[in-house]
Amino acid sequence: MLLLLSPWIIGFVAFTMGPMVLSFYYSFTHYDLLSSPHWIGLDNYRFMFGKLTLNGQPDQGDPFFWTSVRNTLWIIVFGVPLRIFFGIATAMLLTRPKRGVNGYRTLFFMPSMAPTVGASLVFVYLFNPATGPINQFLGHIGLNQPLWFFDPTWAKPALLILGLWGIGDAIVLYLAGLLNVPRDLYEAIAIEGANAWQRFRYVTLPMLTPVIFFTLIIGIIDGFQYFDQAYVSSTTAGGGVGSPDNSLLFYSVWLYEQAFSYFHMGYASAMAWVMFVATMALTAVLLLTSRRWVHYGGGLS
Amino acid sequence: MRRTRLLALSSLAMLVVAAGCGGGSSSSSSSGGPATTLDKTPVTITMWDLWSGEEGKPFNDNLKGFTKKYPWITVKQIVQPNTPNDTFDPNLVNAINGGNAPDVAMPFGPDYIGQYCSSGLWQDLTPYMQADHLSIDDFAPGAITYTNSGGKQCALPSLTDAYGLYYNTKMLQQAGIAGPPKTMDELMADAKKLTVRNPDGSIKVAGFVPLNQWEELGPGDLSNAWGAKWFDSSNKAVLGTDPGWAAALRWQKELIDWYGYDNITKFFAANTNNEFNTSNAFQKGKVAMTFDGEWRTAFIKRGAPNLQYGTAPFPADAAHPEQYGSSRVGGTIVGIPKGAKHPEQAWLLVKYLASDTNYLVNMANQVGNVPTTKAAIASPDLTLPPQFKVFLQAWVNPKSAFAPPLQPAGGGYADLLDSFEDKWQAGKIPDSQLESQLNTLDQNIDNQLTQGTAP
Repeated sequence: MLLLLSPWIIGFVAFTMGPMVLSFYYSFTHYDLLSSPHWIGLDNYRFMFGKLTLNGQPDQGDPFFWTSVRNTLWIIVFGVPLRIFFGIATAMLLTRPKRGVNGYRTLFFMPSMAPTVGASLVFVYLFNPATGPINQFLGHIGLNQPLWFFDPTWAKPALLILGLWGIGDAIVLYLAGLLNVPRDLYEAIAIEGANAWQRFRYVTLPMLTPVIFFTLIIGIIDGFQYFDQAYVSSTTAGGGVGSPDNSLLFYSVWLYEQAFSYFHMGYASAMAWVMFVATMALTAVLLLTSRRWVHYGGGLS
Repeated sequence: MRRTRLLALSSLAMLVVAAGCGGGSSSSSSSGGPATTLDKTPVTITMWDLWSGEEGKPFNDNLKGFTKKYPWITVKQIVQPNTPNDTFDPNLVNAINGGNAPDVAMPFGPDYIGQYCSSGLWQDLTPYMQADHLSIDDFAPGAITYTNSGGKQCALPSLTDAYGLYYNTKMLQQAGIAGPPKTMDELMADAKKLTVRNPDGSIKVAGFVPLNQWEELGPGDLSNAWGAKWFDSSNKAVLGTDPGWAAALRWQKELIDWYGYDNITKFFAANTNNEFNTSNAFQKGKVAMTFDGEWRTAFIKRGAPNLQYGTAPFPADAAHPEQYGSSRVGGTIVGIPKGAKHPEQAWLLVKYLASDTNYLVNMANQVGNVPTTKAAIASPDLTLPPQFKVFLQAWVNPKSAFAPPLQPAGGGYADLLDSFEDKWQAGKIPDSQLESQLNTLDQNIDNQLTQGTAP
């Protein structure tokens, strides 16, 4: 038994448990990779939440911590529900066609096979306010042409569109969920005289809740870790990491900058632990409330 | 056995002996080398560098000069990926901490040198330099500003960049402008005169793009025209108190507003990824004047040989004529990381890359960078175009310095200024609040440097 588990145990201790314990320790130290860690108590956490003292000096704290928190919450609050909505809607459309159904499914799944970095590069090109085809199209139909990745107001929406374009993985999950709904449930509700909306509301949606729940949790965790798209697009557009005006400075991006650009390993570890606790807390809340709205197979009575 | 020999060699006494012969060896043939002290056991040393692509071949060719001089040393090059965001230095730190330090490290920029020196992650070269009678004064005055931190000379320059104003001669003539602008007021007036707009108001040809991060332009390059300082003598940021910063930012904003922020941002977006390819805005005649580095002369020679252009020092504020001719300088550095297995041989390579006149002259001719030693600059073998002279002069100008200045906690504090610029350029900071916001910026910079410095 132990022998069978040993690969996992070794991996867990060496690559998960060990680093976690270490990073917890580092979060209470000044550690710059260059010299050995130096215990500073809660100073990293004080710097993070601001308005407290650092090394005994008056301090305003990290000027961009809350910016990164706000940006991250933005992408979760808008991104996750929109992905669920469009995911279900597209999956339902994909159950319709009689012919060429596999072709359509492949077509919709294809974007999510594109590597994130490549997709982000292409999006910066497509959304280029001066030379990109998107704005040329918007100009032709007489619409406002935003500066997209060059404007703090429009940079995050551009990333949202990128996220919705690469929705194929969610569609596949919803499609599997939809095709798993037992036919007899539809037959039963049809006998009761239900219309299309009622079929969706009382059969499809409840039967999909396990998948929705799964994509919700994964979506939130992905949101907390949102990195590649933001990092690539902000630097490709010609500004610094997180630009314009820090509108793409997400939590993970800022953590990465602290760790690997500034070598503030202690502070980055503290940030990582705050994120870990926040993710765990949110997931726990969702798990607790899930009993009220998630229906597992057979549980429908 | 090797260990004891190395220990003996690194003792000061031996180095002084080596110094006695060192002078003779560097001047002429290899046979005159200090055979009594040089360990000629065949050895392989490793070097991390970034020389690849078009610059890879000239570097490898010129590295052969080292092998000729020291035939018993084999240099094993590990060429690191040259990514837009620096991975060289973080990887190097990991390699050093992991006990896999290369013998020689040669990054293209000194951005981490403050941390390297203060932490001892790169070795202080002073003893080697004293032994070989090599002084930082053999380079230009600006050299020390990016190779020495906290009194530790832990790197040496090996070719550098210097900056100035490129201008399209034909466009200036057509606009009736006699010569390149010398003051910031003239630059503003000429930029407006040289700008050509499309019927819809968008920019066809920009006279001068004042945006932060437009190609090479950084906030310190504008404020240098006013002689603005970054830090005071107690190392506190003074962007809010040195009036040069506010003056430079207001100058910048005035020109941005004249173009219209949306117009100039679109122009920026249209050209943002073309800096290093043949669609470069200056080479294509889309900008009449631009702030750029000396390497552009080589790029123009390759990509736009028919372009008629001139170079001049970047203008200075009319009240600060002493700034005219100076620029930001800094470029490739070379040093010996802590834990290098063959530091003696590594030093020979560092010395060669930093101070061998033939190497520097050949590389300058082939790659188009500024040779860094006084001897190389004076060499009659330099075959650089006449437009290059401005950059040679900028390098030796006593007011030229690396920016943003080195800090023991690293150069990350400059990102705070970039964020500030994003807001300022877009008009998100009212003019009346500029000074108070700069004071807040100073505080944030000081905080970040405190956070990044070991208590």
